[in-house]
Amino acid sequence: MSELTHIVKNMIQDKKDVVLSVLFGFLAGITAVGLFAANGYLISQAALEPPMYVLIAMVAVVKIGSFIRALSRYAERYYSHRATFTMLSDLRVYFYEKLERIGTSLFQKYRSGDLLSRVVGDVESLQNFFLRVLYPPIVMVLVFLSTIVFVSFYSLQVVICLLVGLILTAIIIPAWFAQKQKKVSSRILEERSKLSTDVAEWFYGFRELTIHQKLEEKEQHLVASSNRYIKEQEQAGIQSISYQSLNMAVSLLVSWSVLAIGALLVAGGELDGLFLAMLVMISFIVFEQSVPMALFPIHYEESERAANRLYSVADQTEQKSSHSIEGDQCLYASPAIQFKKVSFSFSKDQRNTLTDVTVSFPSGSKTAIVGPSGSGKSTLLKLILKQFDAEGEILIDGVPINQFEQEIIWEKANVILQESHFFYGTVKDNLLLSDQTLTAEDLSQLLVDVQLPYMNLDDMVLEKGQNLSGGEKQRLAMARAVAKKGNLWLLDEPTSSLDSWTEQRLYERLFTQAKKDTVILVSHRLAGLEKMDQIIVMDQGKVVEVGSFSKLMESKGYFYQLKQIENSVLQ
Amino acid sequence: MKSLQKLALAEKGRYYALYVIAIALGIVVISQAYLIVSIVDDLFLNKQTFDQILPLLFVLLGVLLVRASLSYLSGKIGVEMAARVKKKYRERLLHSYGSRTVMASTKGQSGSKMSVMLDAVDELDSFFSKYIPQRIITTIVPLMILIVVFSQHVYSGLIILVTAPFIPLFMAIVGGMTQRKSEEKLDSLKAFSGRFLDTVQGLESLKLYGRSKYYKEVIRKSSLDFRDTTMEILKVAFTSSLMLEFISMLSIGLVALELGLRLVVFNQISFFTAFFILLLVPEFFNSLKELGSAFHSGRSSTGAAEKIEKELENKESIAEWGTRSVEKPLSIKLNNLTYDYESSDFGLKGIRSDFPSTGQVAIVGKSGSGKTTLLNVVAGLLPPQSGGVVLNEHHLFEYKRQEWFSHISYITQHPYLFAGTISENISLGVQATKEEIERASVQAGLREFIQSMHDGYDTVIGEGGRGLSGGEKQRIALARAFLKNPSVVLFDEPTTGLDLQTERYLHESIQRLTKTSLIITVAHRVQTIKLADQILLLDKGELLAEGTHDQLMATSEYYRQLFSVQGKEEQG
Repeated sequence: MSELTHIVKNMIQDKKDVVLSVLFGFLAGITAVGLFAANGYLISQAALEPPMYVLIAMVAVVKIGSFIRALSRYAERYYSHRATFTMLSDLRVYFYEKLERIGTSLFQKYRSGDLLSRVVGDVESLQNFFLRVLYPPIVMVLVFLSTIVFVSFYSLQVVICLLVGLILTAIIIPAWFAQKQKKVSSRILEERSKLSTDVAEWFYGFRELTIHQKLEEKEQHLVASSNRYIKEQEQAGIQSISYQSLNMAVSLLVSWSVLAIGALLVAGGELDGLFLAMLVMISFIVFEQSVPMALFPIHYEESERAANRLYSVADQTEQKSSHSIEGDQCLYASPAIQFKKVSFSFSKDQRNTLTDVTVSFPSGSKTAIVGPSGSGKSTLLKLILKQFDAEGEILIDGVPINQFEQEIIWEKANVILQESHFFYGTVKDNLLLSDQTLTAEDLSQLLVDVQLPYMNLDDMVLEKGQNLSGGEKQRLAMARAVAKKGNLWLLDEPTSSLDSWTEQRLYERLFTQAKKDTVILVSHRLAGLEKMDQIIVMDQGKVVEVGSFSKLMESKGYFYQLKQIENSVLQ
Repeated sequence: MKSLQKLALAEKGRYYALYVIAIALGIVVISQAYLIVSIVDDLFLNKQTFDQILPLLFVLLGVLLVRASLSYLSGKIGVEMAARVKKKYRERLLHSYGSRTVMASTKGQSGSKMSVMLDAVDELDSFFSKYIPQRIITTIVPLMILIVVFSQHVYSGLIILVTAPFIPLFMAIVGGMTQRKSEEKLDSLKAFSGRFLDTVQGLESLKLYGRSKYYKEVIRKSSLDFRDTTMEILKVAFTSSLMLEFISMLSIGLVALELGLRLVVFNQISFFTAFFILLLVPEFFNSLKELGSAFHSGRSSTGAAEKIEKELENKESIAEWGTRSVEKPLSIKLNNLTYDYESSDFGLKGIRSDFPSTGQVAIVGKSGSGKTTLLNVVAGLLPPQSGGVVLNEHHLFEYKRQEWFSHISYITQHPYLFAGTISENISLGVQATKEEIERASVQAGLREFIQSMHDGYDTVIGEGGRGLSGGEKQRIALARAFLKNPSVVLFDEPTTGLDLQTERYLHESIQRLTKTSLIITVAHRVQTIKLADQILLLDKGELLAEGTHDQLMATSEYYRQLFSVQGKEEQG
């Protein structure tokens, strides 16, 4: 519920459209009632041969009324839909903002297909929130009350009858329906999200599925998943139709009762027969307002669930961001970084990724980190980027890292991660991530520098850079980093897919630019590290050795052994 | 709309049942009006007593209940039809995507395809659940009403007859506009969902480059664009219902005026007739109006159906496989193999080579020389435009797809890990016992890693294998290969981003596998290829030279160049 109040609050900010929707909705409803009443009265009056002017006046009233009704209906629809879609767009942006704050830890929790389904599906289903949950009941109650006031001039019995009808069709039946609806709609959303995740996995893992011949099996799985989803939709559809029909039956019954009561009153002489047709027609039209209320629980339920799911993601951010204190420290040229007894694990039940790491990266130094896969090299970089909070102390220029805002560090850092993400768009779009001021010539030169002379700035990059080879991605990532002009380089195996010749060109380009900068390079190769100021050797989350290339070779320790292995592989 | 119409007709039983319901509904609507008028007339003008009208009142009650039941039945049938059609379409889509080649499956954003698969199929719903039932009701009920009105009073009937045709006219005009708009909307929705997924997945990069704020604006903008296109369609729909309202108002007004004049001034008709017609005429127009709104949702289904049909018709890249069985030993030849990418002028040009049935073949060349493409063609993942892979004297695509794939393994640069446990990820596609999985993991050097995980083999790894390092992913892929025990193993840059230990595992594994299988490796490091029995040197999609390492060092200048830097560096 609290989640929906969020949305209501959000909507109230765009008051104008909301107020207009209710206003025109009421106007349309009440003129419809007026019209039918006038028609019923008119025809009865006509039977009694009244003076001509009464008839003409009535006809005129009916005409004006119907114009107002049609125009109000139009305006009501227009404003209510506009209010709704503005709300949806705000929601998407809001949700993106939240995701942006959660950042990288996100994907371990939410699979991307599910995420897409959350945002597109749940946001879409929230479009019914205003259109069918929030304002129609308000309009309906207003119209009903006005009608009842009018009818009370003629017959109290009919008023009671209408009130009972209102309570039945607008409150009791929907509430009863709501009970049953809860389960169905939750299952629909669940099945949709399952299906969406399955479909996403099917597309992304297409090659593996093909080769491992799981394609057909997975296809069957998907068909089953889709059928379950459709089955749920079908059930929900039939259920909603049955309740709609029930509500219809009840309102017809009430109109029938109005006719019966009216008949009794007319027969007993308590009501002028002139008004009988009018009352019956009022009753028929006013319940047209309440028939859609049968669907109220469906939409309410759907909205509530969608909102809950959206906000459950959002709430995680609140928890995450609350415990890291953000300071306003600034970063100047080539920062020095120190780790003091830093330990870290991704979750409690897993082994430590880093244990008691104490290392120092002086300002302007060039450091290589080597070690086997899973030894914590990448994690160390991520801690500098403040992507996770660790135990122990991390200092930048002597100041604890938690006094820096994440953005400040990132602004200064040229980062290449193991898997760089590229976006659907042109090469140029992807390079311009880093610096908006670069000209087309600068960018073309940059492509040449990173050994991609054959690539054009207008070439298309598919989503996730799927049409690029591993080597092309790494060269583009390098171009992107070089263009950024920060002075802290955090490079995680940036050239692993490249041949040595190309690798050398890239490093040359990099070190010319990074002469005075602090560079931390995670490397899987031991060759070419002679020029580095220091090499940190890691194994299973611990620092095993630190020193220059020659010093490490002389001491014949762990690094020396690694080097021996590399040599033996070479033979 | 025609193809959807055909699908509806295919559901014969349900379709005709809807007609029966519509006729019944027509009778009910007319009886309802008749009974109400009778009761009011009897009481108001004929001054009958309550007891006298009581039977009529009860008949009316029955009629009203029947009306509610009929509306339930017709709605239910519509929903059932919709479910069946959605089922069929989604299955066909899936099948169509499934039979495409790898390249085609990556073309375009996956998010867009997902949107077709989920949203477009869902959008079909309203055509069957709303439009079809309403259309059948609207073709029957107004006609019955019109007949009754004519039988009561010819002039009222004529007025309706003259004004009513404006409604379908307007609907046709507006409908055409809505359809075009709704296609736009679908495009916009597709673009939106594609962009959103892409952006969210690249959030880390965006943040690193301080661009996530900018993309927030991109999302806002595409979201508002989406709103605006939707409002455009809706405005058309609202205007159309406004027009319908005006026309029906005009018609009802004229009828009422004419009836009033005849009733009062000329005294030509009775109150009964006038009231009866006055109750029926709104029913007539209501039915048309409801079709109007159902028509709108039906139209947007048509737009969705066309998108789906377009996807289904996209057959260009479907690889046709044959029925031949694969028999060991395998001999593989490349016969003038040519492959062109549609989107660029890059491609493989007339490659010829003979592979041994066991041993190691290395493909080398600079980045972008076509090594990975060649590997994909050899794997049967890309169908070459001419020439191709010859397996045991026959073209590869003459064989059964399943049989071929059961003989190969492919270790990609970035193995895809499925959401599931480690052992599920290793056994992918193969029936295996726990022991076999464990043996394969040991061979792939995964034992220590798995032991360090809290849940061992049952540890769940996420979509895209997040939470595992590159080396760990490679080793999982390697374990898959060991478990499968294939005749051909394709390695794409097996030393990519790996630490020394994984690299050593890979080399040992390759050596072990070369004894029983053919290993085709895309490689850029000397040590990987030094031991290869055959090396293919590629440049710009062409085969420059072929031979062993020593032969190429002796004969190819290009080859020497390519490896001199690396050689030197690695000596030091």
